[in-house]
Amino acid sequence: MNPLYWWLTLAVLLFCIGAYGALARRNVILVIMCLELMLNAVNIALVAAAQFRGGSEGAGSLFALFIITLAAAEVTVGLAIVIANYRNKRTVQADRFDELKG
Amino acid sequence: MPGGDFHPWLFVIVAAWVLVCGLGVVVFKKIMYSAVSMVFCFLGVAFAYALLNAELVAIVQILVYVGAISIVIIFAIMLTEMQEGGYALFFNRQAVFAAPLAVAVAAVLTAVLVTADIGDVGEKALNPGVKALSRLLFDRYVFPFELVSLVLLAAMIGAIVLARREEEGS
Repeated sequence: MNPLYWWLTLAVLLFCIGAYGALARRNVILVIMCLELMLNAVNIALVAAAQFRGGSEGAGSLFALFIITLAAAEVTVGLAIVIANYRNKRTVQADRFDELKG
Repeated sequence: MPGGDFHPWLFVIVAAWVLVCGLGVVVFKKIMYSAVSMVFCFLGVAFAYALLNAELVAIVQILVYVGAISIVIIFAIMLTEMQEGGYALFFNRQAVFAAPLAVAVAAVLTAVLVTADIGDVGEKALNPGVKALSRLLFDRYVFPFELVSLVLLAAMIGAIVLARREEEGS
């Protein structure tokens, strides 16, 4: 059996853990952390597929590197928004950001 | 072994580490515990890359995730952490909807995984090594590389503008 299945199973499980956390928790910083978990799961899938399936001389690893870079940018901007919001509302709980609620 | 080595026991250890720490991120009530668990999860993912013979990705993972992103997140937690213990509850109203949704996503992905024909392990381990990877990065993928650096610059400027304290009276 192709070991790639095992690695992809790990990626699926980690992705779903992250998805659950991103949906269920209210702290915005924790939601960002769970997004990072999901991105890591995608990276595992990419690197494993590149390793065991191949056919693209290293593009899998490079894509993982690009995703890591973009994740860093995403965290920076996301946390800056959280901090700016915290300054106005004194909270990081997502259900308190309800100005647009009718 | 073609397609790279696969050590079942090492895989089990790494997978258990990653999943346990990942669950820790979700279930801990104190967000600082979640953050520490997240750091260990990132470390476990770095081990997973090393196990997959992707040294460069493993090193970058440790540098960027375990080093930089974790620090930034912990800084943000310390800047904002506060009272309101009641809001950190694990089982709240959203969990009722989130849990079935996450399980459904897992089921769909597993179904895709089972029915997909991944095929056999490739003839040789397509693991180009750091030298070939960097050659690839600066030759064939040089445009995405420059684009990513532009994105990083934009993110840096954006973060400074967003998080800057407004000048008094201006």
